[in-house]
Amino acid sequence: MTDVWINGTAMVQTGRHYNLNMDEMAARVLDEALKDAGYPELDALFVASATAEQADRQQMLGTYIAARLGLDKVATYRVENADGSGGSALMAAAMAVRSGVYGCVAVVGVDKPNDVLSNQQQDIYSTATDSVYERYFGVTPAAQAALMAKMYLSKYEYKYEDLALWPVLMHKYGASNPYAYIRKQAKLEDVLDSELVSDPLRLYDVGPMADGAAAAILCGRKGVAKVLGMWSSANAVPFNARQDYDVLYSAREAAERAYRMAGITPRDVATAEVHDSYSILGVLAAEALGLAPRGGLLASLRGGSEVRANLSGGLKSRGNVMGATGVYQAVEVVWQLVGRGPFKRVDGSIGVIHSMGGVDATSTVVVLGL
Amino acid sequence: MEHESVPLYWRNIPSYYRLAARRCRKCGEVYYPPVVKCPRCGSSELEDFQLPHEGELVEFTVLRSVPTDYMKQKPLVIGLVKLGPVKVLGQIVDAAPEKLKAGQRMEVVFRRVVVDGKYGLVMYGYKFRPRP
Repeated sequence: MTDVWINGTAMVQTGRHYNLNMDEMAARVLDEALKDAGYPELDALFVASATAEQADRQQMLGTYIAARLGLDKVATYRVENADGSGGSALMAAAMAVRSGVYGCVAVVGVDKPNDVLSNQQQDIYSTATDSVYERYFGVTPAAQAALMAKMYLSKYEYKYEDLALWPVLMHKYGASNPYAYIRKQAKLEDVLDSELVSDPLRLYDVGPMADGAAAAILCGRKGVAKVLGMWSSANAVPFNARQDYDVLYSAREAAERAYRMAGITPRDVATAEVHDSYSILGVLAAEALGLAPRGGLLASLRGGSEVRANLSGGLKSRGNVMGATGVYQAVEVVWQLVGRGPFKRVDGSIGVIHSMGGVDATSTVVVLGL
Repeated sequence: MEHESVPLYWRNIPSYYRLAARRCRKCGEVYYPPVVKCPRCGSSELEDFQLPHEGELVEFTVLRSVPTDYMKQKPLVIGLVKLGPVKVLGQIVDAAPEKLKAGQRMEVVFRRVVVDGKYGLVMYGYKFRPRP
């Protein structure tokens, strides 16, 4: 089997890109990533998008992105796993190279949730829940995350003030990331005074939806970072039937298998980008990745230590770029490993991304190394 | 954003109106939402199982940021309610959230769920309320 290397990367600042069409924004970032990789011959394009149909009424996005660049005769694929699309597309692309069928492929993540109103964003995001048994009754991912937060805080005897440390830390990291959506520090009081979204979760616990596009070029030949391990795992237990609400089953399984493939332990992880669509899910994801013991992350934040996760600011500060998120994470981790600005080089050679669809519905973990 | 599908609503009426779950004939495990094959023992022999209409509140949250169809009803109280062998996720009505408590007795009520615009359907289903 062929080793898989990331040869080129690019991303745009997340936010509100009212002046750009989806395919155009994706094409620009793809061209930048191709340039970064030295314009290799491309065999295929894997597109990650969660909202293309619902927000921008577009199917077959890959063909239109290719058309904007005149990329003739490439294969185009679309991977959709809601806000976990990015990690799934990355893994599909890496498998395509690893199999030897393709020499070089591109992964492009793109979404423009700000093309619709905030209530319509909720319409779209709620289709990541079970449409018949959850969405129909008004359930959204926020409500599910809120229930998990309530049960986590009560099980481990935390106060909401402890959970509020996560958004404070994310804003601290994100404030120095020019690619982030919300680039400002936040004080504990800002979090505590923000409006309730779904108790106990407040506005500062929610990753704001942002437009964005990111791209990575994966090839069989040596590049800047190597894909050391990867695994994707769905959690087949419906939300209402869960045994425990203080753990991300999908993330735990994906991390265990990806670490095993890479031959690493959580101690080897120098940096991680995790899917904190809601603060509580960032906490649970970091625990599932072994960066803190189960139920122990908030205690260590309270004790003044920082977690090696989300130097980008995470979904809280960089923004929830929906299907593009996982691709952003991969670009960020590569830049953190090599010390490419705005990121300082991290102390170590191994980074991990955790991309998740819905609330623990499916997770992909990818281990990258120099 | 768009009208709900009529066939999609219609075929789910057994769940929405009667809380029809599925029970494995072999190992007795009950599933809601219904499954096609028993995840526990692998048997395909499943039968309809009527969930009880009384149970207890496991946990709840008051959701203030809601999808378009629920704008007029906001905030929504979303709760997990234990009904016999399973938990069900749904709306809690007829209750002041500050008076709700995990563990309290709840009952199933039949309510309007979505009024789908001027020309769409009025759709119904189960919700939960505290037992008087």
